[in-house]
Amino acid sequence: MAVAEAFIPSAPRRGTARIGGARRIVGRASIAERVGFALLAVLVLAAIFAPLIAPYNPITPSGLPFTSPLHGGHLMGTDEVGFDIFSRVLYGLRTSLVGAVLVVTSGVIIGGLIGLVAGVAGGWVDTVLMRFTDLFLALPGPVLAIAFVAALGPSGFHTLLAVAIVWWPFYARIMRGEIRALAARPHLEAATLAGAGPFRRAFRHLLPGATSAIVVTASLDVGNLVLTLAGLSFLGLGAPAPAPELGAMAARGLQYLLQEWWVPVMPAIVVFLLTLASNLSGDGLNATMSDS
Amino acid sequence: MDDAPRAAEASAPAARGTERLFDAASPGASKSPLVVVDDLHVSFERGGQQVNALRGVSFELQPGEILGLVGESGSGKSVLALTLLGLLPERPRPVITGSALVSGTDMVTANREQARLVRKQHLGAVFQDPMTSLNPTMRIGKQVIEAAGSTQEAVRLLDAVGLPDPASRLRSYPHELSGGLRQRVMIAMAVADSPALVIADEPTTALDVTVQAQILELLGTLRDELGTSFILVTHDLGVAAQVADRIAVLYGGRLAEVGPSADLFGAPLHPYATGLLRSRLVLRTDRSRPIVTLPGEPPDPRNHPPGCPFSPRCEHHSGECDVALPPLETVTATGEIAPSPAGSAMHQVACVRLGRFSTGHAAAIDERAEPWGPVASASRGRNPAVLVHGVHKRFTIGTGLRKKHLLALRGVDLSLNEGEAIALVGESGCGKSTLLRSIAGLQMVDEGEIEFGKGGRPQMVFQDAGASLTPWLTVGEQIGERLRSEGLRRQPRDARVLEALTLVGLPAEVAKARPAQLSGGQRQRVALARATVVPPEVLLCDEPTSALDVSLAATVLNLIGRLRRELGVAILFVTHDLAAARMVGDRIAVMYLGRIVEIGDADELCSAPIHPYTKALLDTVPEVGRVHVRLKGEPANPIDPPNGCAFHPRCPSAEPTCATSPVSLDPVEGASGRRVACPIALRLRTPITGDLNTAGVMSARDDSGRR
Repeated sequence: MAVAEAFIPSAPRRGTARIGGARRIVGRASIAERVGFALLAVLVLAAIFAPLIAPYNPITPSGLPFTSPLHGGHLMGTDEVGFDIFSRVLYGLRTSLVGAVLVVTSGVIIGGLIGLVAGVAGGWVDTVLMRFTDLFLALPGPVLAIAFVAALGPSGFHTLLAVAIVWWPFYARIMRGEIRALAARPHLEAATLAGAGPFRRAFRHLLPGATSAIVVTASLDVGNLVLTLAGLSFLGLGAPAPAPELGAMAARGLQYLLQEWWVPVMPAIVVFLLTLASNLSGDGLNATMSDS
Repeated sequence: MDDAPRAAEASAPAARGTERLFDAASPGASKSPLVVVDDLHVSFERGGQQVNALRGVSFELQPGEILGLVGESGSGKSVLALTLLGLLPERPRPVITGSALVSGTDMVTANREQARLVRKQHLGAVFQDPMTSLNPTMRIGKQVIEAAGSTQEAVRLLDAVGLPDPASRLRSYPHELSGGLRQRVMIAMAVADSPALVIADEPTTALDVTVQAQILELLGTLRDELGTSFILVTHDLGVAAQVADRIAVLYGGRLAEVGPSADLFGAPLHPYATGLLRSRLVLRTDRSRPIVTLPGEPPDPRNHPPGCPFSPRCEHHSGECDVALPPLETVTATGEIAPSPAGSAMHQVACVRLGRFSTGHAAAIDERAEPWGPVASASRGRNPAVLVHGVHKRFTIGTGLRKKHLLALRGVDLSLNEGEAIALVGESGCGKSTLLRSIAGLQMVDEGEIEFGKGGRPQMVFQDAGASLTPWLTVGEQIGERLRSEGLRRQPRDARVLEALTLVGLPAEVAKARPAQLSGGQRQRVALARATVVPPEVLLCDEPTSALDVSLAATVLNLIGRLRRELGVAILFVTHDLAAARMVGDRIAVMYLGRIVEIGDADELCSAPIHPYTKALLDTVPEVGRVHVRLKGEPANPIDPPNGCAFHPRCPSAEPTCATSPVSLDPVEGASGRRVACPIALRLRTPITGDLNTAGVMSARDDSGRR
């Protein structure tokens, strides 16, 4: 059949693009975005391999207090107790990233599910769920988290829980918007006529179309969360000392800023780099995802 | 015909171009041409691949001439229009060689400022969608005055393009006007300052057929009154033939044939032009067999064959076609290659095998197609598959004080028998799609009932097949979806999917493809495969061919015809094109503002229409040598339908009673199954069979009444 012969899959094929996805994203990014990707990769690797890289135990003194950087085998010096700052920063980085990823994940799951249900169902279900979401959006997030932690008592877990509770509405809104837009396409009606049930419609015909927007938002959001979590721990709402947390280290070190500057500045620089890296790479991801 | 000199000519296209320039300037030519395009090549890079949009196009346009530029998608017609306007996008940066002189300025070498001056002084442009060309935040008065220079001039122009009550319309915003009126406003702006040339890119594609006819007529009138030249870019040979003096057919970035409209539309010589004309439906097309189509797909501008671009789809091709690009040769009236070019009215064809196959008439070749077999007999019956009874549907628009009701369906009765095909025809807003969607169960009706025969849920194919497929799922998954409810395991399911793909003429690999990898025609086939993998009792088709190229549309119509006969499904086919309706439907139902105004056997209805609206619709089907009577006015608005017969404000034979007395769909005497909602047309109609005496008395009474 003549028409049969005419089938030429248009290059580049979607499938191969998906396999080479990472390369494609980096390939299209600007120089600043590439720097962001590289920096993020270094920081994530450092966090993962912290136990291997860290020269000392982060919560036992390993030298004289206030050893300046690059002296006595302490890359970033030591603090007022004699803890090795480099080791503590590595573990702090780990806590920050894990915390941020946990909160984002929970936000994507809870918010995404609520947004998906609201978007697919429409009608009064949509109204009820979205007004509930608005209620949470209306509350000032960090303040609510502070109140929550103050009530439950300071601990790393409580902080994450508090932030997670105020974080999901954002994702519910984005998901609902994406789903509503997709649901207006004729392909959903076609799927209904083809006999796809509500679950299949939601998870096969709608959800995959919303993932790119959610992934981009979530990746940009990791930077925000690192800052928020560091901020809360700076205020003393994180895990109690001597747990290595970037915010708390900066907060306690602040009093030594004029003489032993490295004590607060080293963790602050890491927070700065982590936020920068995740914002730059989020931008890069956003640009490539919206291109294709 | 000797082959050697042709090959030599083909290898020196530049030399030929120069010759033509001299000819145009020679004393023989009466006027100097307004546009001289010479050996124009345009290519650019898209997605890392070289797109060769134009590959050596040469033509001339005389002042006051209307040239129809006809081509399918990928032919390069829009790129040519943009090049002439000097509006090719800067990114991706195009590579242009050759020249395109417009009023003496070469738009290829002109810088931005020069091109702008040429556009300002000599050019006007009209695009497909006037809604995106007009500024939605500005009153149309301000926009037209900007182009016209003064309020009086703006009113004069709007009056000239037939905008009713132009002075008060100046205060309207674009969204307050209908599509046809917006296009008139665009044309008024294009002809402001009396440009020498107006380039109209698919100006009627987005409009209803009756409005399309009005706009085309307007272009002709403006040419006669203002002496403006027009380049009418279109995919439809019939549209071009209605107003153009000459037609140029583009294929694969090259001119395939150029000639006077009557010659080209009457007896084209190039196999592509012939095929294009053949797959165009007219009311005379033989319904008893499939439409003769062009095989294959339109050319891919990223990957042209070395020789004639049409060669892969051509029934007459031979080895010599693939050697070199065929040059455009002048032919005489007798179809022979002319010894010398014969001025601007010459007929030119780019085909090296011309004269070695019989060219010409569609009818002669039609015979090759096997007639349709009968509809699968088991399902053909007198039992209704769908019974629509007294259906009303209204939509609410706006809220609060601005709340309005759009009456989409105002009492529709329709019965679709098992294995039968009915085509629903009407302009936009007539409710045809609403009726289809109601039957599909995609929306509830307000009043009335829709009953089904023993079959289950009807299936539907949509106008935009691409949008009706889920982009991230493979074709196989989507077709297989309908088999899930049958509890089939994966393997038999895959086998069934393959069967369905084969039935619609697609290879097995397509099952693994995603919709974006397929062409428009392939996507519509996939949609049909999904609809028929489990043969439904009823298949609903919502304008499935209106977004496709002419040659592909015919293929899809054939496919629907074949599926219907092989699977025995009943078809309800919505379209705005009566010629397509006649090919698909056993019966045709004509809708106007939410009601059926005429229904009957497809051939009878087309050959002897009774309702004035049906007559008007039939008149919009372009045919050469027919005087068209244009339907006045705009398609009526379903928000506030007129009382009585909704058609009476536009009806040429309306009487005062039409505005007051309600009309019903009455049976026609002597024609079984025929129903018409027009008492006047029924009264005036001479019965085919029946009491001649009564007819005589009736006409006598009419005469006496008039005196």
